[in-house]
Amino acid sequence: MPHQLLEVRRSSASLTGGLTGIRNLPTVSKYIDTSTCIGCKACEVACQEWNDLRTVPTHQLGSYQTMPTLNADFWNLIRFSEHELDGGLAWLMRKDQCMHCADPGCLRACPAPGAIVQYENGIVDVNPEQCIGCGLCETGCPFDVPRFSAKTGKMAKCTLCVDRVTVGLEPACIKACPTGCLQFGTKDEMMALGEGRVKQLKENGFANAAVYNPQGVGGTGVITVLAYGDRPEWYGLPKDPHVPWTVRFAKSVLKPLGFIAIFGAVAGVFGHFMRFGPKKPPDGDREEPKPPARA
Amino acid sequence: MREVASRTQVEVPPHDSRDMAVIRARGAENVVVGQEIVRHRFASRVIHWSVAVSLLLSLFTGLPIWTPIFGWMGTLFGGLYVCRWLHPWLGLLFAASSLVMFVYWLKEMRLEPRERDWLGPKLIQYLKYQGEDSEVGKYNGGQKLFFFAASLAALVLLASGIVLWVNPADVSQELREVSWVLHDATFILFTVAIVGHIYLGTAAEPGTFGAMTRGTVSKKWARLHHPRWYREVTGEDSRRP
Repeated sequence: MPHQLLEVRRSSASLTGGLTGIRNLPTVSKYIDTSTCIGCKACEVACQEWNDLRTVPTHQLGSYQTMPTLNADFWNLIRFSEHELDGGLAWLMRKDQCMHCADPGCLRACPAPGAIVQYENGIVDVNPEQCIGCGLCETGCPFDVPRFSAKTGKMAKCTLCVDRVTVGLEPACIKACPTGCLQFGTKDEMMALGEGRVKQLKENGFANAAVYNPQGVGGTGVITVLAYGDRPEWYGLPKDPHVPWTVRFAKSVLKPLGFIAIFGAVAGVFGHFMRFGPKKPPDGDREEPKPPARA
Repeated sequence: MREVASRTQVEVPPHDSRDMAVIRARGAENVVVGQEIVRHRFASRVIHWSVAVSLLLSLFTGLPIWTPIFGWMGTLFGGLYVCRWLHPWLGLLFAASSLVMFVYWLKEMRLEPRERDWLGPKLIQYLKYQGEDSEVGKYNGGQKLFFFAASLAALVLLASGIVLWVNPADVSQELREVSWVLHDATFILFTVAIVGHIYLGTAAEPGTFGAMTRGTVSKKWARLHHPRWYREVTGEDSRRP
């Protein structure tokens, strides 16, 4: 359900008229410091609890990860990976969830008007009342986040706890984090926090530490501090994420061209009829009058 | 076709109010009945219309998903969600009827070498009503090419459509992207072709639509549009008297 207290900045499949925001709201953001995450998964549990999601059986992968990937009933997954370094080991935890992109690929891909909205505060949300469950948002998403729910026949993903944020609370995952590696605030505040932490990491020998806020999607509503900032793929993050060019092509090129082609064809046949008229035998269609029915 | 062609003239008995042409057109094809020639027997017409209806319904349930400008079409089917549910099933129906049509007409649609130029200048000539061709058989080169293009389109739409239908988590990202672009591009080209097909079958060539309803065309129509077929079926000269 679209959040009634929040205005909308952008709405899917709405060429115009999506914007409803008069108020100037600051863009909010999550802050994730992967270097202080201990992989306790309190955020996973808090997400399940607050959003009343079905308990999903965990899946033993032979690692510290709860299950292989996100699903419609599991919106927050701590991904675990390890990589060998010169004389050491990188032991990496990363919180995988919707990145709340400034230029959301899901919203671009979605064909149902208003099924994906970006609120004035930057949160990207699925509106199940409008969602048709086609799954195109998953194809548009550079982070492979939205999932099809067999229960509702619609898509589901992290809402950034929009219901909590609207009433001045922090998202459930942030509330539960015991180490403070998760923080919540305006995007500016979180960026400042991230830059401070990166400076600290650099001073402590992580020369490539960086804030992950990819510009290919206009920046994200999740600010991630990476100790190995030159290797986002180690964390399961794309190096330079962007909305797939095929999705942009289908939406921005194929659609207008197709529109012109189809209406052009209709106009073309009218033009042809006006210019050339019907093609019929020169002396009429009938051979000769049918023999009159004998009385 | 040639073996079916029988040069029997069906006499219309007096005091008979039945439409002999329609009765003959139930089972026979390429036979002369009075001033008419049976062009498509009942089975041919049923196959054609099952393809046509399933295609149009697929199109009308797909267009509102393609762009919200056609959202009003979705309303006709009960909303966008219903369209999303209905569209793949109608598409399957379309693919199935297209397969039947392909098998049914393949033999008659074999392209002759001299019909290859229908891809180029010949098509333009045809649309300009230039260059009379007395060697046009039951189907002209354009009709045959359209038959193969439509069959190929049905295949591409089916394959890409199935990929887009299933849970995206079960299909790779690349395959979904390719299928999306293919499905859109194919449907656009197909729709353009269908607009032309409907026009040629109705307004552009009066007398053609009856071939798909009654199943018959007039002898004059056949002599104008398909002279070789006219000769084969009637045994008469196709030149104008």
